[in-house]
Amino acid sequence: MSRQTSFERAGININLRVQLAFLALAIFFTMVLVRVWYLQIVKGDYFRALSENNRIRVVYVPPERGVIYDRNAEILAKNRPSFNIELVIEDVPDITATLAKLEQILSLESGSLGIKNRYQNKRKPFEARLILRDVSRDMVAKVAARKFELPGVIVGVVPARDYIHGPIAAHVLGYIREITRSQLSSERYSRYLQGEVVGQYGLEDRYEEMLQGIRGLQRVEVNARGTRIGESSFEPERAGNNLFLTLDLDVQRAADQAFENSKGAIVAMHVETGEILALSSSATFDPNIFSSEVSSKVWNDLAYGKDKKLTNRALQGAYPPGSVFKIFMAIAALAEGVVSVKETVFCPGFYRFAGRDYRCHKKSGHGSVDLNAAVAQSCDVYFYLVGQRLGVDRIHTWATQFGLGLPTGLTLGNENAGLVPSSAWKARRFKRKEDQKWYPGETLSVAIGQGAVTSTPIQIARGIAAVVNGGRVLQPWIVKKVVSSDGTVIDEMSKAKVETKVSVDPKILEIVKNTMVSVVADPRGTGHRARLELFPDIKVGGKTGTSQVVSAKYYGQREEFEDHAWFAGFAPADKPEIVVAALVEHGGHGGAAAAPKVKSVMQAYFMKQYQQFGKPMPVSSPVAKPKDEGPVSD
Amino acid sequence: MLVDRRIFAHFDFALLIAALLVPIFGILVLFSAGYSPDSTATIMGLPIRSYPAFKQLVFLGVGIIAMFIGLSLSSLALERWAYGFYAVCVSMLVAVLLFGNVSKGARRWLNFGAFNIQPSEITKIAIILALARYLSRMSLPKKGLDFKHLIIPALMLLIPAFLDAKQPDLGTAIVSAAVGGMMLLFIGIRLRVIVTICLFGAIVAVPAWNHLHDYQRMRILTLFNPEADPMGAGYHLNQSKIAVGSGGFLGKGFLKGTQTQLEFLPEHTTDFVFSVLAEEQGFIGSFLLIALYAALVTLLLRVVTRTRSLFNSLVAFGMASMIFFHTVVNLGMVTGILPVVGITLPMFSYGGSSLISMLFGIGIVLGISMRRFAI
Repeated sequence: MSRQTSFERAGININLRVQLAFLALAIFFTMVLVRVWYLQIVKGDYFRALSENNRIRVVYVPPERGVIYDRNAEILAKNRPSFNIELVIEDVPDITATLAKLEQILSLESGSLGIKNRYQNKRKPFEARLILRDVSRDMVAKVAARKFELPGVIVGVVPARDYIHGPIAAHVLGYIREITRSQLSSERYSRYLQGEVVGQYGLEDRYEEMLQGIRGLQRVEVNARGTRIGESSFEPERAGNNLFLTLDLDVQRAADQAFENSKGAIVAMHVETGEILALSSSATFDPNIFSSEVSSKVWNDLAYGKDKKLTNRALQGAYPPGSVFKIFMAIAALAEGVVSVKETVFCPGFYRFAGRDYRCHKKSGHGSVDLNAAVAQSCDVYFYLVGQRLGVDRIHTWATQFGLGLPTGLTLGNENAGLVPSSAWKARRFKRKEDQKWYPGETLSVAIGQGAVTSTPIQIARGIAAVVNGGRVLQPWIVKKVVSSDGTVIDEMSKAKVETKVSVDPKILEIVKNTMVSVVADPRGTGHRARLELFPDIKVGGKTGTSQVVSAKYYGQREEFEDHAWFAGFAPADKPEIVVAALVEHGGHGGAAAAPKVKSVMQAYFMKQYQQFGKPMPVSSPVAKPKDEGPVSD
Repeated sequence: MLVDRRIFAHFDFALLIAALLVPIFGILVLFSAGYSPDSTATIMGLPIRSYPAFKQLVFLGVGIIAMFIGLSLSSLALERWAYGFYAVCVSMLVAVLLFGNVSKGARRWLNFGAFNIQPSEITKIAIILALARYLSRMSLPKKGLDFKHLIIPALMLLIPAFLDAKQPDLGTAIVSAAVGGMMLLFIGIRLRVIVTICLFGAIVAVPAWNHLHDYQRMRILTLFNPEADPMGAGYHLNQSKIAVGSGGFLGKGFLKGTQTQLEFLPEHTTDFVFSVLAEEQGFIGSFLLIALYAALVTLLLRVVTRTRSLFNSLVAFGMASMIFFHTVVNLGMVTGILPVVGITLPMFSYGGSSLISMLFGIGIVLGISMRRFAI
């Protein structure tokens, strides 16, 4: 009945064909089954780990960085929340349009926004990328208000450093900033992660390991869009250790504010213990700028600009010490017996040596001067003679004993060692035979702190401290205590670390100390302006220095050729507590430019002592401007 | 024609059960794949936690009706209407290109008010019927089909395949061509024709490669090196392999597959539904499903030998080929041995047009099997 063709009629061997089909079925299904077996049984653990890796995202919780306090537990650096604008690329339909919209909403220059490419390689899907760092709350509000126009734009919160006193103590505190590529590959930062913030300068850098803390580790379950579904484990972060410094905020502030537009450095140190009370360098910077984006223009100005704002002149600035050096010359002369205290020298305004006239800074001459007058009036001729009698190598030995030409070992690091020349040094320093010889004329320059001799302000501070504390050359220190976040004291330094003791008759030190008192007390003394008007009962001792920058024929023509001004002083004269060394680059005369700065730092120190201990008493009305304008020449 | 008692006596219950077990199994897996615990949707007071599973259940109901329609059609009627049916389907494919709805970059759906249908699914059945009619009516040469015999069958295959590829729906185009090719092989093709086609294929491979969409090319390339671009073209494949592999022997448990539930696995209700099963039910579940497909194809092939009509044999063989090809290509794709081409797992992946068409096709084979003694 069927019109249909049967396969017998068509001559087709149906069974053979169906058997072939079964064979194909068996082969292919077996292949698939073997493949599934391979994935699930052979490689099951491997893929299980991959699926866990998909599901579980490790989120690092940044630890609270240690707070930095001054010696009286006043906060110098703390932490605050900072807001970043970030972009989740997967949620953004059109990146260019979204960035343009964001620029418009935040009133930014068109084209100024871009994706910071630092996470390019390791980014996980739906991980946000940084667009703008540390924006204001106002900007956050603007973005939040228009978030429906900005798909994929989110606001992230990260901790940022807050240096609450701005530029005060900037060179001591330093700053923190995102870890650099080269740091990441170095041994020191081997446990750090990309994007973490580390100390880059100052104590933030030196005490990075103490301050950083331990990051928390949170394992969160996420879906394919990176949305958190739950938390699977959590290792809490541990806050960094707090630092208590030897600095006194008020003394530091006085030191920092002593420089207005001038450049230079001030170091205030405790005479007996070596505690740094203030360490100031100018020109300075505000470390808070590093919590937001620093443009390369700003960075170049900070690091390489004319003012070299990132240079800590107190440690890294090596300047000719000028007449301050005469203090060490006087001690050497008395100790070696080349002059007696009573011996007088006649100063006609110049010193003739080897057919050449070496000038005294006072052209008319000082007349007959003994040691006391020579120091007080800073007579060059007297010290030319002393230098000639001592010879450069004995000068070198004595200056070195007081720590000149040697790093002080302050834990801030990166110190310039300065230089105290000697004949051996010159022979080492120069290659050519004729350059290696030391000429006696050079000794005369060294004798007044010129020529090859250079010192840093911190070296001068501790050298003068050694003169007035009985010859103890101290290692200055700035971190008093390291305390963990739960209050455990990890490290504490309480007593002075004496580096060397100068072997010299204490009487000689006493004589020289008294000459320094005359420098300030004597109305003809060069350091008369360092007297403390607020504390007239507290006597100050010190020494001015005016070191020549270039030869005198350029003198006064341009600021760059003006002399560097020094003053190093201590107080109270009868029982010294504080030593302050000030250097003003191209400041002119030490007595005029540097001594008043030392005075204001000392007054801040004694005012603080008064506030804390009720003594010494300042004068009731520190208004009467003293009439004196003592001699400024040096 | 009166209903013969023998018809029921010879009803292929095994094939019916296998054909229904696959979508039922599929709905269970779809429940997990489409699971959204926060869903508040209700239908007739019943909370709906998995919308795809619910819809697939409705499709299964419609599919069972379609299966009984297919079952009730005599092969005479099928043969008579085969060309008309084919013509209607091809017209619908043209209509898709002209008026179809676009979704995910492809124009595949025709809108009929309350529902959308995907004509390319039912077209696969139409091609089998039309080709079976043509091949069973021609006078077959002794040595197998020669070039001249292949012109019309080739056109019958390539017109819908071309229209599918235009949507673009490369997967369906490949299935249509492959199923047709297997039916031709069933009849027998002269060796020289096969050799020529292979040579021709090798020659046109390069221009064809150049004609592919970039994403299609990347999918083939990533097969060989899936880690090359894990966030881009390799993403689907990698996530699927992770899902399958991480299931292990026993699986992570129902609704506990992290790749699925956290949506790392893309297209997990459609092309990659097997990965959901493999992740949550492990090797046990995977083995069961593969065995079920093997049984289904075997039962379809059994019908091929049980009828003496060449048309019936070709229809049953075409259906068996289609299920087989779909299954192997899909499983090969999700386990990373074949490129990602977008071929669904038959009657298991979410999709109404596909499920209903397949059940209709199996219904036809059930009918053929049932009437094998009814002369």
